[in-house]
Amino acid sequence: MALPLKYNLRNIIVRKGSTLATAFTIGLTVAVFLMVMALARGIDLTLSSSGEPLNLIVLREGSTAELNSNITRENFNDLQYLDGVEREADKPLATAELITLIYKARKGMNQGSNVTVRGIGPMSLKMRSGFQTIAGRMFNPGLTEAVVSKRIAERFQGFDIGDKFRIQTTDYTVVGLFDAGGKAFESEIWVDVNSLASTTNRPTFSSALLRVKDASTLATLAKRITDDPKLHLKALSERTFYEDQQGTASGALKGLAVFISFIMAVGAGFAGMNTMYAAVARRTKEIGTLRVLGFSRISVLIAFLLESVSIALIGAAIGILLALPLNFVSTGTSNWVTFSEIAFNFRVTPDLMLFALIFGAVIGFVGSLLPSIRASRFKIVDALRA
Amino acid sequence: MKFAKLVLKNILRNKRRTLLTISSLVVSLFLIITLATILTEFERGSTESSPLRLISRHAVSLAFPMPMAHLQRIKTVPGVKEAMPFNWFGGIYKDEKNFFANFAVDATKLRDVLPELKMSDAEWQAFTSDRQGAIVGQKLVKLYGFTPGQRITLKSPIYNQEVEFIIRGVCTGGDEKTLFFHQDYLNELLPEWAKDRASTFSIRANTADDVPRISQAVDSIFANTDAPTKTESESEFAKSFETMLGGVKQFLYGIMAAITFSVLLVMGNTMAMTVRERTKEVGTLKAIGFQRGTITALFLAESLIVACIGAAIGIGGAALIFRSIDLSLYIPNFISFIPTTQTLVAAFVLSIAVGLISVIYSAFRVSSLTIAEALRSTE
Repeated sequence: MALPLKYNLRNIIVRKGSTLATAFTIGLTVAVFLMVMALARGIDLTLSSSGEPLNLIVLREGSTAELNSNITRENFNDLQYLDGVEREADKPLATAELITLIYKARKGMNQGSNVTVRGIGPMSLKMRSGFQTIAGRMFNPGLTEAVVSKRIAERFQGFDIGDKFRIQTTDYTVVGLFDAGGKAFESEIWVDVNSLASTTNRPTFSSALLRVKDASTLATLAKRITDDPKLHLKALSERTFYEDQQGTASGALKGLAVFISFIMAVGAGFAGMNTMYAAVARRTKEIGTLRVLGFSRISVLIAFLLESVSIALIGAAIGILLALPLNFVSTGTSNWVTFSEIAFNFRVTPDLMLFALIFGAVIGFVGSLLPSIRASRFKIVDALRA
Repeated sequence: MKFAKLVLKNILRNKRRTLLTISSLVVSLFLIITLATILTEFERGSTESSPLRLISRHAVSLAFPMPMAHLQRIKTVPGVKEAMPFNWFGGIYKDEKNFFANFAVDATKLRDVLPELKMSDAEWQAFTSDRQGAIVGQKLVKLYGFTPGQRITLKSPIYNQEVEFIIRGVCTGGDEKTLFFHQDYLNELLPEWAKDRASTFSIRANTADDVPRISQAVDSIFANTDAPTKTESESEFAKSFETMLGGVKQFLYGIMAAITFSVLLVMGNTMAMTVRERTKEVGTLKAIGFQRGTITALFLAESLIVACIGAAIGIGGAALIFRSIDLSLYIPNFISFIPTTQTLVAAFVLSIAVGLISVIYSAFRVSSLTIAEALRSTE
């Protein structure tokens, strides 16, 4: 017969101080795990939401990022009239873009980071969903004007509307701020591609983007471009292109999260063991009484395990509450694939919270296993005599 | 001192509890030291850089190369002792996983500009006299088993170019996961558009006082060209990499604070249990004439000894582990992964503080009970 849950609850409440201290130790472990994972998850979600499912991105063969890729004008002309490229009013839905970086100081600091500047063509906006000017206006093609993502404007100096910034020897004026629904483009500055090409003296583009008719065309067209021996290009779905950056961008953070939280969990487990051994020792007589009343060894074992897991769950809940305020807090770091700033939000997602709860419960379970077994092994006479 | 035996007996009374508490402290200290060492490495570039060196890069971004022609003009700036181009090749050895830095440099100047690189004269000779020659850092030898005379091929995605080198020497000092080779040799192989370029110029000043002047002078020369420069001391240059990481540093400090707080909770909870269980004993001690101060001191000593044992194992263990397993081999840009003396001392001070703080409240509370109250305790 199982012991009533009330028995566990009462015991947890009686030793408030000790319960809270143990719960907090587990809570801090869970919170640290969640916070680091929320950082990694923020990067992953930004990257995984960035590519459009039917967009094909074309780069120079061997390039790992748009920055070290180049596509000639002839290349682009060949690409946009390929079979399978979607059209709108007889014009192919294709665009060639140019990437450059500028180094800007962070707000309140002397030093800063690289920000991606993307030169976009007339079709670029049609091929990317979520873009929206939220202040000012869109740039005029042909002029040295720029729209800056709101996140970048918030994190770096000199990107308010009306400010000027320099690319090579040309000054660009910020005429608008935009957001892009949490995508990677929210870490970018957009200018006109032709203006950027003349500013940077570059005869070639960085990448081309093609909208294909349907999902099956995507694969065949990608293969056709990649396999063409004359082109020396590679094509892949825009979605894959961004998802592939996840490993480099957030892999180290996930490793760090696992490493730190594992060691903290070991420490918290030891602490939990101490608390439970003390609880068992203090209640030896009580355990004897329960056994006399007819509760089996297994019931005692389960009762102590449940008690510890409950404390751990309270702890995990505290941990989640500690980490939750970080959700949607904006931050940024460097994406080493693009060698530039990636701005994103911490994301404490439901699956991470669930995992955190389970993680906490496991710490509580493992930590209390030995003390609970000890409690269940008492001989009735010895326990009563204690 | 006469109570040493009593304190020791008390520590050993519940061996399992003492062991668990010490273990918890040990793993937490290990973690704190590991994180502090990561932070040290993040900051190493700006704290250990040469005060005589400047780095000049493209003002727009490090990602843009500058024309090699800049070099001659930089050398004419007063106060400049020597200048050398660094050209990031980005070459990959066999597999993308094998990331290490490789630069094309002016081999004849390398020693003057980076005097921290140590290599035998014979190896220097062999390297400078072979256009195809390369020198590798000691750690690359450990990682990939490079040996002098070996031919290796690196493939650069930047130029889509494979280049074969012959290893001519192994050097120590600086980031030992770096390969240097001849700019002249690379230049021959590259297509027209990629010839005669440098990622950065390393400038060695005559005196540290010259550094700010050189920085201004160089930047003003190129201010209105296609490739304006940003020239700064090596430490400022390193700091720019730190700031690229954004909030990661503050984040690590936050985690260290959370771990410290959790150690405090663990120790505090254990000591509270220990003290509470001995309430009756405190009554007895008081009854036979022990003063309040003495009783508090006994508890403090007990907690401090436990903290010290934990500190010794945790700090000693971390120092030993990181000396025997060199994690810097596997982390790009990390020059070493050995905790600094400051880190170890700080960890020790932290342990002592935790030992004191965790017991002080319980000890005071129980030692201020009256004899009757203490003896009546039901714990």
